Amino acid sequence: MSVHVSTLQARITGESTASSPLSTEEYFVNMGPQHPSTHGVLRLVLRLDGETVREVVPVLGYIHRGIEKMGEHGNYRQFVHLVDRMDYLSALANNWAVTMVVEKAAKMETNDRIQAIRTLVCELQRIQSHQLWWGVFGMDLGGFTPFFYGLRDREQICDIFEKTIGARLTMNYIQPGGVMFDIHPDFVKDVKAFLTYFKSKMPEYDALMTENVIIQERLRGIGKLSAERAIALGATGPVLRASGVAHDLRKSEPYGLYSQVDFDVPVGTVGDCWDRYWVRMEEMRQSVRIVEQLIDNIPEGKTFLVKPAAKIKVPAGVHYSHVETARGVLGVLLVSNGKDAPYRIHCRTPNFNNLWCIGEMATGGRIGDLVAMLSSIDIVVPDIDR
Amino acid sequence: MSWPVKTIAERTGDLLPGSPWTAALYVLLTILAVTAFMTVTGLVLIYAERKIAAHFQCRLGPMRVGWHGVLQTIADALKLLLKEDIVPRDADALLHILAPVLSFAGMLLVMIALPMSPSLQVADMNIGVLYVTAVSGLGVLGILLGGWSSNNKWSLLGAMRAGAQIISYEVSATLALLVVVLFSGTLQLSGIVQSQEAGWWIWRAHGCGIVAFAIFLIAGTAEINRTPFDLAEGESELTAGFHTEYSGLRFSFFFLSEFLNMFVLAAMTSTLFLGGWMPLHIGHFTVFNGVMDIIPPGLWFTFKTTGMIFLIMWFRWTFPRLRVDQLMRLEWKILLPIGFVNLFVSAACVVTGCYFFAR
Amino acid sequence: MPADSVLPPAESVATPEVLPPPEKHVGVGGAILGAVPWIDKTGAVGGVFRAIRSLFGGMKITGGYLMRPSTVVTQQYPENRETLKLPDRFRAQLAFNHDENGYHKCTLCRICEEACPNVSIIITGREKPAVSKKELDSFVWRLDSCTFCNTCVIVCPFNVLRFDGTFESSVYDRRLLSYTLNQYAGPVASVLEKMEDPEARKAAMEARDPYSGAAIIAALIEKQKATKIAERAAREAAKASRVAAKAAAAAAAAAAQPEPPPEAEDVG
Repeated sequence: MSVHVSTLQARITGESTASSPLSTEEYFVNMGPQHPSTHGVLRLVLRLDGETVREVVPVLGYIHRGIEKMGEHGNYRQFVHLVDRMDYLSALANNWAVTMVVEKAAKMETNDRIQAIRTLVCELQRIQSHQLWWGVFGMDLGGFTPFFYGLRDREQICDIFEKTIGARLTMNYIQPGGVMFDIHPDFVKDVKAFLTYFKSKMPEYDALMTENVIIQERLRGIGKLSAERAIALGATGPVLRASGVAHDLRKSEPYGLYSQVDFDVPVGTVGDCWDRYWVRMEEMRQSVRIVEQLIDNIPEGKTFLVKPAAKIKVPAGVHYSHVETARGVLGVLLVSNGKDAPYRIHCRTPNFNNLWCIGEMATGGRIGDLVAMLSSIDIVVPDIDR
Repeated sequence: MSWPVKTIAERTGDLLPGSPWTAALYVLLTILAVTAFMTVTGLVLIYAERKIAAHFQCRLGPMRVGWHGVLQTIADALKLLLKEDIVPRDADALLHILAPVLSFAGMLLVMIALPMSPSLQVADMNIGVLYVTAVSGLGVLGILLGGWSSNNKWSLLGAMRAGAQIISYEVSATLALLVVVLFSGTLQLSGIVQSQEAGWWIWRAHGCGIVAFAIFLIAGTAEINRTPFDLAEGESELTAGFHTEYSGLRFSFFFLSEFLNMFVLAAMTSTLFLGGWMPLHIGHFTVFNGVMDIIPPGLWFTFKTTGMIFLIMWFRWTFPRLRVDQLMRLEWKILLPIGFVNLFVSAACVVTGCYFFAR
Repeated sequence: MPADSVLPPAESVATPEVLPPPEKHVGVGGAILGAVPWIDKTGAVGGVFRAIRSLFGGMKITGGYLMRPSTVVTQQYPENRETLKLPDRFRAQLAFNHDENGYHKCTLCRICEEACPNVSIIITGREKPAVSKKELDSFVWRLDSCTFCNTCVIVCPFNVLRFDGTFESSVYDRRLLSYTLNQYAGPVASVLEKMEDPEARKAAMEARDPYSGAAIIAALIEKQKATKIAERAAREAAKASRVAAKAAAAAAAAAAQPEPPPEAEDVG
């Protein structure tokens, strides 16, 4: 019996070159819609050769709720709370995307206090989302403990949101013309306490995961995505930045108070899982920087400049606006016919485009790699189907 | 101080000429005792694992059933007993039923060879080490059959991973074990323990012991399918690996044998490298040795085994899982060469008598 | 693809480190590595030591938490009911603001009903108001369809509604999730305060059961069904009469013209 020897070339291209008397057969496996690592009801059809992944095809539609269609049946204010349910880990950024397009189209005014509060809570939510991702990433790689540490620290931000906003996940806080409530009297104190706490926890994150040799071995060189392909596939957010494209709407088209704060955009070099991991860890640090700069300088002012009950009329035409959520660019396209309800709404969600990178990355990897890649994209399935 | 070893098998033999019926009763009682011991150990280990894992993760763990949840495992066991026992329609029913039993049997057979104290050992074979290595290989058969007979692709993947992994790592584990056999000059487990009267092999062998200890611990952890080597289960990759299709009592057999395997590994590690029930002795320092002898040997064994179990749990709740090719690389390219070199160096040490307190 | 046209200026870009600085954590492996000067710290042997040290670093973190039980964050929920305090703004259950006399200020303006994105608020007025023109009969809030978006609270011009933190709202019967929020059916506070006779005031207030919401919804649905049936009957009667009229007209036309054009037969 001859021994199957895989050459280096074969390992790079993922093709079997040696002709072995042990004939192997490719087979299909459904990963999902119920699977611990698909983070929801995502179904991946895998074509496998033993442990090696030959092809991945995502199958969508298991959590399609017709959010965009539902938006056409209500007015603009009623649409805001629906987008909470798209990417539930960055509900505030989703709110802001809708709010921004409505405000821009209807020429509604805001003040610096509103913008400062929006920027602050969105950055806090970015940290919160990345904390959850960090924990889940650890769990997908087989270590349970990071999950609990990540969630424990996320809880602190959730408590801050609970005090100011009254909800932990589906906020509906950023409204056209303002924010729903003024910040809680304890907000500044709580956020400062959290920043002190979190800065002491970041080294622990590093010691537990970043520096761990198993993590590094499992992530380096896995799931490479070149800058060209990332752009071609429409990837945004940390996935795109890890591939070496320094594209961040907070820098390139600053909204809110992002033009007034100082922060860096972390950019990867290779575009492998390790770069995506590193970019997100660094983004948490940068978000902490942004929050630190803003927390003492929240301007005075009103938090709602129009009457909340007033109907918003958007001039007829096509309007578009986008924000940078924790996962990438969320764009909202609004077609208005001049009435108080949208004629058509479309959301360009980051997860949908990011997900399709998995087909590019996973070919030739192992099943374990596939899980790491899927986790490094950080998908939220309701955002894909909407 | 001498350590007279009298195993339960010898005692039965003593009884046999007088009254065979008493001997048979004695054997029956022994079987019952071993089963009871295993069940209790399993329950305690599961509870300990849950509590320790919880505190590693800033949680409390089970708190409701009994004081601090001490009865939680019993409640869970009852639940598993009452659950419907499902055999999938297209599964190979006979093998599906046989697999957990095989997995359990392998571990049970190892248990009777473990020297827990001079007077508490069921059978002391003169080829004890060989017996343990051979019999513990039965466990992989159960896992392979379980994955194969389930007729589920995830299960099959898990089983194949487990098969490749356990068979590979057994090589390294055996090489590490041979180091101790070389130093002690016997295959008998009680003999190995008694050979450590002047000190434990982990420190007496000029580094060879500690290297062998590390290799044995790593390979053993891989053999019992625990994180960071839990690829056979790999719940984030293969949903539940080889036992995806198992439920109820049969699942609990797999579950229990996993935990008892951990006990067996810890007990074997402490027997081979940490002196088993032998108290901490340092050569000819008779005063120190006398003080250490005050603690009974059974307690020494318990302490060492508990410590090893804690270490294995600590690994599990800290490290992520390796990938399947990295696992093989670690074995064949790192552990195996180190193991061979270590074996040769130990052989040289034994031949030249170059180790602490050589006789 | 003109990728560089969308790029921000280069100075805002941080360059990634390849590895975190190694001297951050000195565990057992680090101590060994530091004590042995002849080991090439960047080579293969150094790599092995770095790997071992990184593993020990992780174990130090988890072990540290095990040693400090004070870091446990678990809340023992049903036992800590007394000490558990939810923030004021927490949105768990919609409630009516009743003043100290037990009067409410709802004027049936129905702004909240209109603002609700998923028809979770159903307001009915009294059919024969006792005192003023508009009197609230029941304000039904459906927890089962509510998304807790808080819109009703912020649009209310009279500050009638609030969300409070009574969060234990699970029940065994789905129908019990429809609450009647007003404690009485009757006029608003300002009308009631003008009435001097306490007996008359009492007569104007009719107590409402918080769990009658389901019955009210069922009644509304019945009413809706009845209206629909009546409308349908009326429509069908109208259609029948239209068909009859057209048939009569066609018959008249046929009587006038012996060869009718074919489209005249289309009576749909």
